[in-house]
Amino acid sequence: MSAATPVRPGASEPSARGAGRRRRLPRSGRYLLELVMAAAAVAFLFPVYALVSMAMKDPRQIAESPLAPPAPPTLANFGDAWSSASLGPALVNSTVITVASLLLLIVLGSTGAYYLARRARGLGYGLYVLFLLGIVLPFQLGMIPLYKLVDSLGWLGTYQGMVLFYTGIQLPFTVFLYTGFIRALPQDYAQAALIDGCDHRQAFTRVVFPLLRPITGTVIILNAVFIWNDFFTPLLYLGGSDKETVPVGIFSFVGQYVSDYGLVFAGLVLAALPVLLVFLLLQRYVIKGFAGGLKG
Amino acid sequence: MTTGFPRFSHARTDGPGAGLPVPPGRATVSRRGLLRIGGTAAAAAALPAALTACSGSGGGTGQVRVVGVADQQKPLEELIAAYRADHPDDRFSTSFAPTDQVQTVVRTQLAGGNAPDVHVLYPGSGSAMSMAELAKASLLTDLSAQPWTKGIPASFDAAYRRDGKTYLYSAGSSVIGAIYNKKAFARAGVEPPGTWAELLDVCGTLKAAGIVPIALGAQTPWVTQLISYALVPDAVYAREPDFDDRMTAGRATFVDSGWADALGKYKELQRKGFFNDNPNGTTFEQQTSLVAGGKAAMAVQVSAVLSTFRQATRTPDDLGMFPFPAGDDAKKQWIPAGIVVGLGVAAHAKNPDRAKAFVEFLGRQENIDRWAKAVSAIPFKRGAATRLDPVLDPFLPVIDAGRAVPFMDQRWPNAEVQPAHFAAVQDLLAGKKDVKGALAQMDAAYRKKA
Amino acid sequence: MNSAPRTATSGAPRATPPGSASAKGPGGPGGGGRARWSPFRTDPAVPPWIFVVPALAVYAVVVLYPSVAGVVYAFTDWSGVGSFSFVGVDNFRTLLDDRRALESVGNTLLLTVAVVVVQNGIGLLLALGVHANIRSRALLRVIFFAPAVVSPVMVAFLWKYVYNPEGGAGLNGVLGALGLGGLRQDWLGDPSLALWSVAAMVIWQYAGYSMVIFLAGLQGVPAELHEAATIDGAGAWQRFRYVTWPLLAPALTINLMLSTIGGLKLFDQVYAATNGGPGTASETLSTVLYKEAFVYGKFGYSTAVALVLALFVAAVSLVQLRYLRAREVTA
Repeated sequence: MSAATPVRPGASEPSARGAGRRRRLPRSGRYLLELVMAAAAVAFLFPVYALVSMAMKDPRQIAESPLAPPAPPTLANFGDAWSSASLGPALVNSTVITVASLLLLIVLGSTGAYYLARRARGLGYGLYVLFLLGIVLPFQLGMIPLYKLVDSLGWLGTYQGMVLFYTGIQLPFTVFLYTGFIRALPQDYAQAALIDGCDHRQAFTRVVFPLLRPITGTVIILNAVFIWNDFFTPLLYLGGSDKETVPVGIFSFVGQYVSDYGLVFAGLVLAALPVLLVFLLLQRYVIKGFAGGLKG
Repeated sequence: MTTGFPRFSHARTDGPGAGLPVPPGRATVSRRGLLRIGGTAAAAAALPAALTACSGSGGGTGQVRVVGVADQQKPLEELIAAYRADHPDDRFSTSFAPTDQVQTVVRTQLAGGNAPDVHVLYPGSGSAMSMAELAKASLLTDLSAQPWTKGIPASFDAAYRRDGKTYLYSAGSSVIGAIYNKKAFARAGVEPPGTWAELLDVCGTLKAAGIVPIALGAQTPWVTQLISYALVPDAVYAREPDFDDRMTAGRATFVDSGWADALGKYKELQRKGFFNDNPNGTTFEQQTSLVAGGKAAMAVQVSAVLSTFRQATRTPDDLGMFPFPAGDDAKKQWIPAGIVVGLGVAAHAKNPDRAKAFVEFLGRQENIDRWAKAVSAIPFKRGAATRLDPVLDPFLPVIDAGRAVPFMDQRWPNAEVQPAHFAAVQDLLAGKKDVKGALAQMDAAYRKKA
Repeated sequence: MNSAPRTATSGAPRATPPGSASAKGPGGPGGGGRARWSPFRTDPAVPPWIFVVPALAVYAVVVLYPSVAGVVYAFTDWSGVGSFSFVGVDNFRTLLDDRRALESVGNTLLLTVAVVVVQNGIGLLLALGVHANIRSRALLRVIFFAPAVVSPVMVAFLWKYVYNPEGGAGLNGVLGALGLGGLRQDWLGDPSLALWSVAAMVIWQYAGYSMVIFLAGLQGVPAELHEAATIDGAGAWQRFRYVTWPLLAPALTINLMLSTIGGLKLFDQVYAATNGGPGTASETLSTVLYKEAFVYGKFGYSTAVALVLALFVAAVSLVQLRYLRAREVTA
């Protein structure tokens, strides 16, 4: 992102980050807020606790007292889930598919949205609404024709089939997110760049795109969550192949008569951790980057 | 992409019973040509030659693709491993998932012209993935030539066969009865009852002892039906053996049949306080733990869940099972026994020969026994070496005396009656409908065209 | 100081109303010296249409073409497998007196309103809280967002344990321990409560999702504006109302639209948590649609329902979009 340098003249001042960007609260108010937020966090964490607690129990312990603290806790479920759902290879598959889809979504989504945001009337608005339609359409509508299409490309059981699917299916959402934020962005930057002799591609990659960091972070995390967790399409397109993703592995433990929720939830915890880690890192990156971006 | 778009032709309409021939061997037929049955057959012509050339030899060369429900995972993986010990060159690709998703996936793959070789199949009719439904659409391979099919008793015809051809492989039947906690029974000093009146006595005694007599997890839809199914054989089929045929002919209704008595008894158990509080909010898992932990004495359940119940308790040997009594004669009990979910070979399998060879292997007595044991089912035919789960012993005399009735939905004409039954029972338990209203809802669903 | 930061600190990142972008470029209408007229580009400040072509191409292949191809089934009696014939508009006529489908519309709307209002309300409060300068904000963000990274179906499985109706278990047990035993409920089993229990679960899962989008908006609010407002003597509420809130408009638009569409289409959570029950108490259009297609084997009819649902959602979101975009400009 070194291309962003021209528009972040203030980035070198350490004080410009963090504290400067945030409202300063009086100390008492800050402690009160901290307390309130901590209480909200506890409420939010209760189901998470239930999840982790069941992940550390054998079936009998779950039946006896699903939500009590595990006594004694067992980590066996994590190992079992890892091996019986082949989570190792599945994590690789999920990562490849998610990262490739995200790259395409960011490139296609941000450029497309840049056009749509800057051409907000006539054809531009029509296309914008057309994209929006993609969020609205029920998935079932195109499911069978799309399946036939991917099959006829010979892309069932492949990474590229899934990447194509996720890029297409999540583009409307991505374009929608980007467009909303680009519209709110001052136009002066890009115009200054154009006047300075950049062409549109350069103006976009050097000036506009760096300014989109916060929303790109949002695009990454929200799309990642969807793609990472999606279960039905990988089952349909990849089921039985060596490209199966993490949810496909985890769901295979859920039967009508026999389900091992300890195993399921342990797998779920393992699957959620990488995404949470990415979210944590992204938050830091986005905030830092942005604090420099708009400061003057 | 014109190739993906179905062209619609009305050249073929296969009414019920038309029984389109299943192509034997199909070595030279293009997969895609076959797959676009009916309306979409013409699309094959539009495909570039390169894409249609993947028919391969009669055996196919790829992996045998198997799609099953999660409940089949254990027996299937064991048996595939056993099969591969003798056929190391046959590779399998398997995927298992929860019932709803598998149903959706397999139907999409069938519709999209990419059928798995072997896939989950439900017995009889009455569901979207049932043998009858798919056979009607010519999507299944006739297995009648395989030796094991000769052992299917005629009474199971409706589950395995359509128009005299066998399409379903299933290891046998599972029974519905009361799974009970022997310790809880002992604590209240009661024995398994043999008649409806005894059952009410036992429940009363258990309740007085502070034990929930019957755990009911009606939040989980399929659990709602089990008590009806346990009561209906006596209330309906013992008196009217031809009830299904009369229903089919439109000469009977649920409302004016023994179903009204059965649902009346269901409601009576609730009215007398013999269920746990809030059955509509209680899940199958919670029902299991109530019985396994001894808070409740019994649960009306299908034998396939025995392993789940056993896993949930410290003392699995304390769990027993008895026929849930609905009538007045302990010597003439009737029970529901339904063929368990099985497998079919797709009509348009890419590896039909190897898929059939595998199913033939599953049909050997020892493998039927193995599968049946894994899901606590009773094999459809028993050999000298067949060992049953001893918990099922009380059911065998009833089955051998011909007083076992298939699960009711396996003869229902469309896939809407069963969900209507689920909703009707929940409404009944919630007090939103009476017995008549609940059954009227089922009658309305029954009369819808398939 | 170049011109860009000045714009930001002047408190008018959208001093140029977005809608007028194409008319107000530096070259003026007509694109200055450009001789060749193009329907795609009239202004040198507007990026060339090639920017949108790749996105449009992928979108057309993966979404538009299959959906249009799929619409055909709405006019057939197809079961989902095997052959079918065309039945004209019969399916739409059937829908008109399908009580199950019509009743589910009410549930769908209630669920949507609850989710839109509460999820965004909580999401906004959380965003404001974790945007403030408190020490635990990085951790708090992860905690609030954590539910959103779990698959919705699994969340439903998990919440069935939380919603255990027994007095001492799950949420009821917690209420009891807090001395709120009177609030204990049969969460999923009580027909008048089931829908709201599902809504609460969805809100729990996605409040953090709304939070993330609001946060992206808050990060675009220059701190200088707050400082200036504080110097002018504005209180906390006034700073929120007159500085933060107007600048949150794009995030609000996105959140409201996404949650409305998401609410109207909500399927996984409802189906996995209640299956539309008890009885039909929590049936939504999406569960009806799914059951028709894959449980009852009436794919043709379900496509008709899907089409009507799509038109309905599209109409609602277009109205919403017009209103919200107008609001963004004037806010």
